[in-house]
Parts: sequence; structure tokens; C-alpha cells
Amino acid sequence: MTRFLARRALGAVGTLVGVLVAVFLLLSAAPGDPARLAAGGMPGRRPASAEALEAFRAVHGLDRPVVARLAAWLGSAVRLDLGRSFRDGRKVTERIGETLPATLAVNGTALLLAALGGVPLGVAAARRPGGRADRLAGLLLDALFSLPSFALGLLLLFLFAVRLRWTPVFADASSPLASLALPSLTLALVALAPIARVVRESVRAALASPPAIAGRARGESPREETLRALRRSVPAFAGLLAALVPQLVAGSVLVERVFAVPGTGQLLADSVFARDLPTVLGLTLASGAAVVLATLLADALAALADPRLVDAEDS
Amino acid sequence: MTRGRVQRRLLVLALFPALALLAPLLARALPADAPQAIRALTPVPFDPDATDLATRLRPPDGTHLLGTDDLGRDVLSRLLHGARVSVLVGLAAAALAFAAGTLLGAAAGTLGPGVDRAVLVVTGVVQAFPALVLVAAGAAMAPPSRWTAALLIALTAWPEAARLVRAEALRLSASPYVEAARAAGASPARVVLRHVLPGAIAPAIASLPYVVGGAVLLEASLSFLGLGVPPPTASWGRALADARESLTSAWWCVLPPAAALFLLVLSARKAGEALSESR
Repeated sequence: MTRFLARRALGAVGTLVGVLVAVFLLLSAAPGDPARLAAGGMPGRRPASAEALEAFRAVHGLDRPVVARLAAWLGSAVRLDLGRSFRDGRKVTERIGETLPATLAVNGTALLLAALGGVPLGVAAARRPGGRADRLAGLLLDALFSLPSFALGLLLLFLFAVRLRWTPVFADASSPLASLALPSLTLALVALAPIARVVRESVRAALASPPAIAGRARGESPREETLRALRRSVPAFAGLLAALVPQLVAGSVLVERVFAVPGTGQLLADSVFARDLPTVLGLTLASGAAVVLATLLADALAALADPRLVDAEDS
Repeated sequence: MTRGRVQRRLLVLALFPALALLAPLLARALPADAPQAIRALTPVPFDPDATDLATRLRPPDGTHLLGTDDLGRDVLSRLLHGARVSVLVGLAAAALAFAAGTLLGAAAGTLGPGVDRAVLVVTGVVQAFPALVLVAAGAAMAPPSRWTAALLIALTAWPEAARLVRAEALRLSASPYVEAARAAGASPARVVLRHVLPGAIAPAIASLPYVVGGAVLLEASLSFLGLGVPPPTASWGRALADARESLTSAWWCVLPPAAALFLLVLSARKAGEALSESR
């Protein structure tokens, strides 16, 4: 088990480094001079002098070759130092730290709501394949999978904020709860579809498996039967967890834009606009680390629930 | 799933690129002396980029069938022209991803563990990240255009086809007929392209509509963030971003692009579902 997890962790770190190198090189190959953009690119400001540009390059190490910058950046990233923003010179970790609580609050609430809605929906659909609940779930899932998160967010915003006036139209610091409601609901609906689908498929398979049929023959109640099927589906749920995190990260970027939530998604969009390389890299690292951690957690969960997975790999 | 059902669903999906290609004919400004016959064939006689502040944010009526946006541009005209970005970029990205993914997958499954491991590592790196984050980071790199967008989306979308084809190719490359081809002295490239790829490509074809749907969503997300095709070019994602600004007064700016995206992605998913089940 430990060896299994250690090997997975090693692979995950390798993947993370691979992505960072790729993103770093991609952004460094960008046309345009980040010093000129950052130091003199703001509208309404005088173009920066040659000395100012030189100073900016020296501060951010832009005068060194790409490979040296990459090595230096990776070295300091290991010590959790992500450099300073090109935009305001503040620490990238500080800027991410400021925006993270809003994003985590929205995502946490969304995940909770999605699980509360998605699991019962999936179970109801799985209990009678082709039944009314199953068909209803199918329609709902088709709709949720096909509607982009930001379009869904705009429609909810229009319905609840403009028509019904239940919530403020744009995020409002004076009523944090009301401001969080719609973004969380939007992301919850986005995450509900994959949850309900995985629950439906795995529970349906578990209910049709020989042990479940044997249980039914022994006279197990539907309740026991469903609980047993859910337990047998834990490896599938673990995989689902790993798949949801990248979806929530991407969803956050869009949903935060729709509702003007001051979170990491907004920070990423703004930083891409401003060509703020250190901040974009830092956020890429953060979202990658979240995905990698979720994958590791999923591996551990799956291995705990089904030790055969570990044996298959160790042998 | 019957054959007819697959064909019907593919036909519905094909309506979208057809509309995109016909948009410059269906929606364009007409000169005042245009003959009646041409007038009758042009249901939307407005240029998609023509602003008219005197008629901004008009609700739908007989002239502007879906109303006008915050710059007085005709919503229906922009919807039709927006399909040229949303649909064509989505198709181009899916085609690129399909070509790259099937080739890499076939090579990984055929050319031995060295190539296989290299492809798996790259696939892992690409899939470890939310596609939108990678595409957005890349969008900072190049001057925005529909080809940049298509290329970036394709860069994140190929692993799915690669995975499907690799699994089939691994099976096929051990089969007697591929062994025979190798023994007869066929070059590795010939084995991959002529012997393995044709047999291994079917699952990737069946998943192609899903890839199109995903690419369309990604393009719309990019445009919504303002990182896609630059203005004034109409696109559905950008139309939704603009509609957000006038949300309190103009619902007719939100619904058409949202519905168009929804219907396109839904018909792609339905076509993919029918294709996969008919196999």
C-alpha cells in the first residue's frame, strides 16, 4: 500500500513539473516584452524609460536566459516562493492567498450541494433502469452537460437577481451569503451532472452483479441492497473525485467572472490579460497541485476500498 | 440504436456548420436598391458589425427579429455570424485533435514500450490540468485569432482520441496480420498508418462528436473571458459576456447565444451517443 502510494505520488510530482515546464516555456516564447508591457503598458502612463525597463528586467531576472529563469523559478517554487507579480510587485503567494478563500467557499458549498443532489438522483435512476426517475435524470443530465457553466450562471442571475430580486446582481461585500448563493448554485449544477452519472452507472452495475442478486434471493431489503451497492461503488466515486477537481477549477474561472466573485479564477483571467507571467505560473501550479492531490487521494481511497488494485500493480 | 437514428442525429449536427457557412448570405446589409428577389432571400438584412446607437437595446420586433444589443447591432445577424467562430473553430479544433490523437495513439500502441511511455507521459501532463487554464494561459502567448484558439483547444483535446486508439492498437499490433506485415519488411510508419490505424480508429471516430462538443464549449469559454477571437467579430461566448453588462434591461441578448450553444453541444452529444451505441 505504502509503496503503491509512493509510486503514485512520484508520478504525480513528475507530471506537475512537466506541466510547469511546458507552461513556462509557452509563456516565455510569447511575443512582446513583458518588461515593456508591465512597466509601460498601462494606459494613461508615459512609456517607461530605458533605465526603468532595465531595472524591471533586473528585478524580475528577465535579463537572464530562459533556461536559467526556469531553473531558478522551479527552485524557489519548491520553497513555496512563487516570485513577485509583474503587475504590482507583490508576492504571488500573497495575491493567491487573498483570493483563495472566496473560491474555496464557493467550491466547497457547490460540492456539498452537488453531492446532496447528485447521489440520491443517481441512486433513484439506478434502482429502476428505464423507469421514470431514470428517464428524468437522463433528460436533466443531457441538459446540464450541454449548457456551458457561464451561460447557466447568466440565466440563473437573470432569473433570481433581475426577475425575482432575491439576490444582488453583482457580488456585494455587505451581504456575503447572498453573494455566494448563485455562484455556488451554478457550480453545484455543473458538478451534479457527472456525480449523478457516475452514481447511476456504478450503482446500476452493482445492483445487477451476482452478489446483489444473491442478496436479493436471501431476502435483503431494498435499503440494505442499495447501501451495499453504494459501498461496492466506492472506487468509482474515488475516480469521480479526481475528475471533478479540474472541472471545478475551470468552472470557477468562468463562474467567478459571471458573478464578479473576487477569487482565484478572476485573478487568473486578469493576470492572463496583463501578461503577468509569475501570477499565471503560480495559479497554474496551484490548480495543478489541487488536481494532483485529488488524484492521489482518489488512488488512496480506491486502494483502501479495493485492495486488489494494489495487488495487481505490485505483482 | 438504428442506423437511421444515427444518420438523423448527424444531420441535425451538420445543420450548424451549414448555417455558419451560409451566414454571410443570410445575414448581410443590403444596398437600398437591392432587387426584390435578393431581398426575399436575405432574411436578416443587417450587417453583424453595423452599430446604430439610435436603436440600441431594442426588444425583438418585426424589424430586428431578436432585438438589438448594447451597441444597436442586430442580435440575430450576430448570432448567425457568431456560428462561424463557435462552430468552425470547434470543428477545426476537433479535426486537429483527432488527427494528432489517432496518430500518436496508433504509434504508442504499435512502436514498442519506448514510444508508448513517452506518449503516456505527455498525455498525463496534458490531462493533469484543467483544459481552460491551459488554453487561457496559452491565449496570452499568441495574437488572438480563430486559428490560435483552434490550435490551443486541439492541444488540450487530443489525449482522448490517443487513449482510445492506443488501446485498440496494442491489441492489433500483436495480431498475426500485423506480424506478417512486419515480417514482410514493412517500415514502422507503414505498419502504423496502413495496418494498425485503419483497424484501431473506429472508437475515436465514435467519440468525435463529443470532442466537437467539448471544443465548442472551450472556445465559447475562451471568448466569454475575452481571450478568444478579438472584437468586433461576433462569437457566442463574447455575445454572452456583452449580454452580462446589459442583463438588467435586455434578456433578448442572453437567451439566443445561450440557446445556440446549448443546442449545438446537445446535438453533438446526442450524435456521439447514437454513434457509440450503434457500434
